[in-house]
Amino acid sequence: MQNRNDHNRNVQLEYHNMLTRRQLFGRTALGVGTAALAGLLHDDMVLAEAHSPNSLSLGPHYPPKANRVIYLFMSGGPSQHDMWDYKPKLQEMSGQQLPDHVRDGQRITGMTANQKNGLPLAPSKYKFTKYENHDRGVWVSSLLPNTARVVKELCVVHTTFTEAINHDPAITYIQTGSQVPGRPSLGAWLSYGLGSANENLPRYVVMHARSNFAEQSLFNRLWGTGFMPSDHQGVLLRSEGDPVLYLNSPPGVTRGDRRAQLDALAALNHLQHDQFNDPEVLARIRQHEMAYRMQASVPELMDLSTESEQTFALYGDDARVPGTFAACCLNARRLAERGVRNIQIFHRGWDAHNNLPAEHESQCKDIDQACAALITDLKQRGMLEDTLVVWGGEFGRTVYCQGNLTAANYGRDHHPRCFTIWMAGGGVKAGITYGQTDDYGYNIVDAHGETLRPQPTKDVWTPGTMHIHDLNATILHLLGIDHKRLTYRYQGRDFRLTDVHGHVMHDLIA
Amino acid sequence: MKKYPIANIMHHTLRLWFALSLAALLNGPLLADDSDSVHFAREVLPILSNKCFVCHGPDTQDADQLRLDSYENATTDRGGYRAIDPSTPSSSAILERIFSSDSPMPPADAERQLTDAERAKLKQWVLDGGKYIRHWAFVTPTRTTPPRYRQSTHENPIDLFIRDGLRNAGTDFAAEADARTLARRVALTVTGLPPEPAELQQFLTDRQPNAYERYVDRMLSKPQFGEHQARYWLDAVRYGDTHGLHLDNRRGIYPYRDWVIRAMNDNLPVDQFITWQLAGDLLPSPTLDQLVATGFVRMNPSTSEGGALPEEFQAKNNFDRTENLGSALLGMTLTCARCHTHKYDPISQTEYYQLLAFFNSTAEPSMDGNKYEYGPTAKVPRDIGTWQQWQQLVGQRDAASLADGRRSAAGAPNNGNAHGEQSAEQLANRIAEIEKTFTTTLVAKELDTPRPTHLLRRGEYNLPVGEPLQPGVLSAMSPFPPDAPRNRLGLAQWLVADDHPVVTRVLVNRMWQQVFGAGLVRTPEDFGLQGQQPTHPELLDWLAVELRESGWDRKQMLRLLLTSRTFKQRSVWRQGLDDPENRLWARGPRYRLDAEVIRDIGLWASGLLDSHMGGEGVKPYQPSGMWLAMAHPASNTKKYERDTDGRIYRRSIYVYWKRTCPHPMMTLFDAPDRESSCVARSRTNTSLQSLALFNETMRVEMARVMADRLLVDVPTDSERIGRMFELVAGRSPSDAERVAMERLLAVQRERYGQHIDDAEALLSVGDAKRNERLDVVDQAAWSQVVATFLASDIALLMY
Repeated sequence: MQNRNDHNRNVQLEYHNMLTRRQLFGRTALGVGTAALAGLLHDDMVLAEAHSPNSLSLGPHYPPKANRVIYLFMSGGPSQHDMWDYKPKLQEMSGQQLPDHVRDGQRITGMTANQKNGLPLAPSKYKFTKYENHDRGVWVSSLLPNTARVVKELCVVHTTFTEAINHDPAITYIQTGSQVPGRPSLGAWLSYGLGSANENLPRYVVMHARSNFAEQSLFNRLWGTGFMPSDHQGVLLRSEGDPVLYLNSPPGVTRGDRRAQLDALAALNHLQHDQFNDPEVLARIRQHEMAYRMQASVPELMDLSTESEQTFALYGDDARVPGTFAACCLNARRLAERGVRNIQIFHRGWDAHNNLPAEHESQCKDIDQACAALITDLKQRGMLEDTLVVWGGEFGRTVYCQGNLTAANYGRDHHPRCFTIWMAGGGVKAGITYGQTDDYGYNIVDAHGETLRPQPTKDVWTPGTMHIHDLNATILHLLGIDHKRLTYRYQGRDFRLTDVHGHVMHDLIA
Repeated sequence: MKKYPIANIMHHTLRLWFALSLAALLNGPLLADDSDSVHFAREVLPILSNKCFVCHGPDTQDADQLRLDSYENATTDRGGYRAIDPSTPSSSAILERIFSSDSPMPPADAERQLTDAERAKLKQWVLDGGKYIRHWAFVTPTRTTPPRYRQSTHENPIDLFIRDGLRNAGTDFAAEADARTLARRVALTVTGLPPEPAELQQFLTDRQPNAYERYVDRMLSKPQFGEHQARYWLDAVRYGDTHGLHLDNRRGIYPYRDWVIRAMNDNLPVDQFITWQLAGDLLPSPTLDQLVATGFVRMNPSTSEGGALPEEFQAKNNFDRTENLGSALLGMTLTCARCHTHKYDPISQTEYYQLLAFFNSTAEPSMDGNKYEYGPTAKVPRDIGTWQQWQQLVGQRDAASLADGRRSAAGAPNNGNAHGEQSAEQLANRIAEIEKTFTTTLVAKELDTPRPTHLLRRGEYNLPVGEPLQPGVLSAMSPFPPDAPRNRLGLAQWLVADDHPVVTRVLVNRMWQQVFGAGLVRTPEDFGLQGQQPTHPELLDWLAVELRESGWDRKQMLRLLLTSRTFKQRSVWRQGLDDPENRLWARGPRYRLDAEVIRDIGLWASGLLDSHMGGEGVKPYQPSGMWLAMAHPASNTKKYERDTDGRIYRRSIYVYWKRTCPHPMMTLFDAPDRESSCVARSRTNTSLQSLALFNETMRVEMARVMADRLLVDVPTDSERIGRMFELVAGRSPSDAERVAMERLLAVQRERYGQHIDDAEALLSVGDAKRNERLDVVDQAAWSQVVATFLASDIALLMY
């Protein structure tokens, strides 16, 4: 187990390692020339950056608070109304129409814009309980009994917002900073900025967790690199077949056979290097060797037999079943322990248009215990303080019902104006509740209940709100990266994850 | 090691070039002449663009605000002072501010600060009078006589330009690569495959003059040429077999891909290649080919997500098309101008929407309905062989009916069958048979009444501003041709007009990039102010003019590049020359081959390659569950059902392209997803590539089938190693290489001799049956040797 001093030392060490690398890039000719350095440094990161036209922008820009991030992405848009954003006054208004002044010109999707029953208000059917945290307390519904027990570690933000109202643009937006495909993902930016702390495992790992309602698609672009070199793309850790694509040697080929092959390959390639003096040859030789090490390190990673019974009790029996959200969370912790800094789990099935109770009950059952377990586990191991955990989806859900509203059943459409996400560890304030929404959970309001209309502009940030650009700026900040300085030049423009926007949420940082 | 700043070396040549080519185009006070000590376009404009335009550039809102993108504005009297004062340069306000510590420019908190060197450059430029010239890429290229051209008319003009730079750097061309290496280099560059052994032999034994040129021509005439060259264009236009958004369902457009291949092979002049794609439907009586080509206009990713609105996607589809035009042909990002006037390049928001207006009146709905066919389609032959057959028969029919017409007119009896030709009826039947098998492809069609186009505030579909806009082009480049129609056809005419400054440069730069591994302009996606300067500006312009004057002849241009001494140099990194990026072109091309080429080489070397051309995308082996783990449950591409026949061995250009999840053997080796335009792929080296090279099913299968082939065709191990090298590298192994392979063979033979079951397991990978007359131990051991060889840099690299 790591104590606090070890932790601080490690953070500092990492920082200095990277600082050294940055200075090196700063002085060196860019482009392929930097690849030559890779040969000297024995560092795969250098090679990757060899293709970067703006290596000066590499992080960290200041000492990081978090060394790694685990992002639990709830694809489809979880309902803040039924999990986090408690609205007692709604109970008496069930079935009444959403007042126009509350909607205030908001675009509504084609799915509910013309429904026969209008926009009837649908209070949550779940019981909410107020849990103490280090702030004003936080209401959590009965769907999340386990998560409720760790709220003293969570920073719950009720006022996250976006402009996108449909899945494809919205999920592309929160993951890449643009609603249109073509930009690098958050994970790719982090890979570009952070490099790797483990030579034997990929630097950015993505997992797809199983769901009973796997609606809505995921896209390669969500962990892709857009116009950046493709070695920053997320590596899928799969529960079916090879855990990493093509990890296993073909049948009949042993580790000894592969060793013999790689030795012969290295001999051929070294001869090429002797002939051509091309430094990239050496870089490729090293990648072959890393692949060989991965063939051992990934099975070791996936082998849960060394995990204790207490651990399985913590995460639940689901964690023994590959591909469940619980198993992914346990893998995430194991990856984090092994130096992988950039981990993302996608859990689908939150797009509850018609049968929200049945679907969300199943979804919450998938994630609730595992989320709490991950927080608890990281904390017990002294890793929570330098591991940022983020939980959330691409948008929220409407207060009004989609389809028939009954006491037992209702559905909710997409809602971009406010939704709840939480963060934990990694330098965020523990146990706080941030931002508030109106009595309908429809608009963001200030402390006096006045409606706010925040815009995601670079110059104006509205206190009490968090645009998705602000969220991404804050994630980068906690990892030691200035979102305004982590740039990649493409088509003559220095692109950023946060475009020209983004405000670091200092209110949330410890 | 000798070091020198490359910029200075190019300086002299550049100044000369600008003086020659631009003088006629510029007016007196603006002209930076040869006596200036700092070069405006190369040294000053990039600083202004990068550090100042963010506030003082083309998009400056406030009319009183200083603009540094215009000489007039920069020299305007601002109440007793001028930013740049041409009469007394030393009192220019800009000098005071950039050196000020009290109120510096850029402001102290600006993200980008000036370096001392940049301040010095600006100072020198202002003291010289602060003159402006237009950004090089917006000035129509003119042909400059290559240096020393008169003395050496027999030389390839490319080499004259390149040699000039080399001489200035105190060096010369590298030695020519050996004939075998050149044969492989040319074949891979032109066709994406190594030369056939017979072709190689023919070249090596050809002692006549111009043997090399003949070999290049032979490669250019192979049908594999089109299959290889089309790939680059398909990246640029983001070709995919699915819609790309939301459900990412199947889309019927592969005949467009086949048309691109055929157009390349037929050497369709590039101006027509562009025109047909943008506006084939608007040509008089368009041919089926011209219609299929308009698939280009339909290539935007599309959606039918439940909550999406048609007006929203009418706008988004148009953004995508406009910006794709920018990337593919204008070498310019236009995306900025969607929401505001471009910060760096002289493109206003209004012009962006005028350009967009050309695309706003196509007839298809903006939402795809998740359908294979949506909007206008054409019925077309289902693969390239059928196209050719059908075209031939239709040609015969038309010729016959023409002849009939003549005979009838002459009063002769109609007995067309007299000379053993097919009767009109037989021909008609055969044509009808083929047409029964036609498939559909998405095409462009113009609405009878154009949709009005408005500028959209902040790019929001629901915030139109002002009066409807006329379709129009980017005035910074060249004027719209006076007689051209204001539709996509007129747009195409503008692009290929003689005075268009950018299109030919962009295209020849990409041809250079394909041939040499990197462009003369290293930012092929950006020829704007923020892009890099060409390594050899005069050469780029010479080639740009040559492209037009050759009659837009793609093959001729490639021939010119391939036959240059520059191309034929050895690709060894040169000692004592500090030029890691090869900006001097002092060595031949050397780079990791593209995903498709790596796969195709393996298929070809093993003899598995199915040469069938065109047709619906093929689905080779793919790890299970990849699509299902991501796809929408309602998507018709959620299940990957691989093909089980020989189609899996077709060339990689035919591999099915699901845009949200392309085949991993493509993306692992840097193929783009084709959701957006890509004009230069990254080239990475990763451990995941290593795993794929050794473990992917088809890689293993290629290795063992090639092993079988060697065992059957060649009598001894030593000769087999020789043949393996001959096939893939076009040469014999060195002693050391031979030893490395023999050692591996011996180790593996011993291992599999003791573990027959492992040998059998290895030989069971993939659909291809193993040759049962061969010894399993031999087969397995050789399979391992071949797999290793095919993963080595000898097979993976261009050199």
